[in-house]
Amino acid sequence: MKILIIEDEQAVLESILTYFTEEGNICEYASNYLMASEKIALYNYDCILLDLGLPDGEGLNLLEELKKLKKKDGVLIISARHSLDDKLAGLDLGADDYLVKPFHLSELKARVSAIVRRKNYDGHNVIVFNEINVDVFAMQTSVNEQTITLTRKEFDLLVYFLSNKGKVVTKNAMAEHLWGDEMDIANDFDFIYTHIKNLRKKLMEAGAKDYLHSVYGIGYKFGTS
Amino acid sequence: MKLSSRYNQVNIFTSLIALIITGVIYYVVIHFILTDKLDKDLAVEENEINQYVKTYQKLPLPASYIDQQVHYKEVKEINQAREFSYTTYYNAKEQEIEPGRSLITTIALNDKKYVVTITKSRVESEDLVRIILFITLGITCFLLISLILINRFVLNSLWKPFYTLLNQMKAYQVSRMGKINRVPTKIDEFNELNDSAIAMAASVQQDYKELKSFTDNASHEMMTPLAVINSKLDSLLQTEPFTKSQGALLEDIYQAVGRLSRLNQSLLLLAKIENNLIPDLQDIDMKELLESKIRQFQELFEKDGLQLIHQLESCQLRMSKYLVDILMNNLFSNAVRHNHKGGLIEVRLQKDSLQLINTGRDAGLEGQLFDRFSKSAPSEGLGLGLAISKQICALYGFTIAYTYQNEKHFFTVHF
Repeated sequence: MKILIIEDEQAVLESILTYFTEEGNICEYASNYLMASEKIALYNYDCILLDLGLPDGEGLNLLEELKKLKKKDGVLIISARHSLDDKLAGLDLGADDYLVKPFHLSELKARVSAIVRRKNYDGHNVIVFNEINVDVFAMQTSVNEQTITLTRKEFDLLVYFLSNKGKVVTKNAMAEHLWGDEMDIANDFDFIYTHIKNLRKKLMEAGAKDYLHSVYGIGYKFGTS
Repeated sequence: MKLSSRYNQVNIFTSLIALIITGVIYYVVIHFILTDKLDKDLAVEENEINQYVKTYQKLPLPASYIDQQVHYKEVKEINQAREFSYTTYYNAKEQEIEPGRSLITTIALNDKKYVVTITKSRVESEDLVRIILFITLGITCFLLISLILINRFVLNSLWKPFYTLLNQMKAYQVSRMGKINRVPTKIDEFNELNDSAIAMAASVQQDYKELKSFTDNASHEMMTPLAVINSKLDSLLQTEPFTKSQGALLEDIYQAVGRLSRLNQSLLLLAKIENNLIPDLQDIDMKELLESKIRQFQELFEKDGLQLIHQLESCQLRMSKYLVDILMNNLFSNAVRHNHKGGLIEVRLQKDSLQLINTGRDAGLEGQLFDRFSKSAPSEGLGLGLAISKQICALYGFTIAYTYQNEKHFFTVHF
């Protein structure tokens, strides 16, 4: 997928770039309004990561420009402003999602992947990973064409892992993804263990390889290695 | 004690004393003057008798008028000094004993010696003194009564601007951005008080605003470095392999950063609620919301083996969906977090109140439960949950209260 990252904070920009750059992905960046405006006009992207607080302009105006250009790029707003107004204004102007800083890169990736999936496969939303097939729209999972039944949380976890395959995903990020950061149980990781244990068991019982690896107690990694 | 009644007391007390003293002095002086006049009259009479004796060489007839009597008494030896004295005499006309003033003097006539007693009635002068006393008393009473009335009515209306201002100051709440209005008055002191109160309110408000925007700005500014740390940590994590101890270090850092960003977000949220920056009011069906919250927390209840009893009546509220969500999350999280294994959670929703009752590890909590950063020592929370809850309640005019009964913690929100 082709992604444009509009972010003025160099350090954050670099991290996102490193995290997103992998085979099949093309990442470009703009660190100010002008640059972003040019890139938006010139190219098409699967998803644009838009930081609202740019030094030379209001990020929300870029959304209006996109609208004027009648472009269908997916937009994810990332903002340090935890403001409901901004969120509503952004979503009103056609943004697909809104993520508040600070965020986990895995969460960002998962959201971007979701946006790109929604944009690209209208209604037919399937993630394929080796023998695992996940239909996000119908919420169905199959291993080697054999359907398995997952709970809602297990399904969410699997989609999350598939969006971040090959990456170490922390328990914090998973907890926040599954329960939201407002539930304030982010320190309680017993739930994560249970869900991961069950997910792994179900996948392996259906004949999938063991893709889930625990990483030093910090988190998990989903991948072939 | 009110200033006016204290003033009244002092005023009336001193007036009373002053009036009594002047009354006494008045009485004594008048009495003295009248007695002096009587004495002069008596002396004139004595003089007349002397003249008469000198001219006619005989004693005048012992006259006895209504208010004057003269007696003669022959004595051998004169050992009587001339003196005035108070006496009584018999008033033949009125047939009663009346007070009098007499002058006892001596007179010599043809080798004979007489003691002359001239007595004059004191009734008139006594009457005069009495009338004067009554008038004085009357004036005293009149003065006292008018003083009391003046104090009661005039002082009250005089102090009115003060009380108006005082009520304004009592009702003043800096968080509401209230204002103190000028109370129209011509009294300099009150005007001065008024100015000072207004100036104070303005400076308090200014400070409060600065403090608030400081919290807001500080939290915002912290978000960026936090975002950097977070993203760098995530990036660092991808550069495995690590040793086990490095993993443990990373985990600790993650925990701390996570806590810091939650803390920061909570502070920002508090600042926002205080500034009433969350306007998205909508009708909330509390029953529906609570049912979905119970579903959402089901997993947590099960994990600790908590038993949930709920009793939900229909209830409609008009508030921000975002805030009501936070409020419910806080209350439910607390009920779970401070519960013991196999405990109990009770949710009671009524038309005008919501009650969350939970068993708990600690005995009744005391102190500033709803204050920022107040939390029990082993709590993993930030200590902001209840402060936020309270702010949310305050924003919509709800009240939130905590009680401890029968080893259960009760959190009650009255809508």
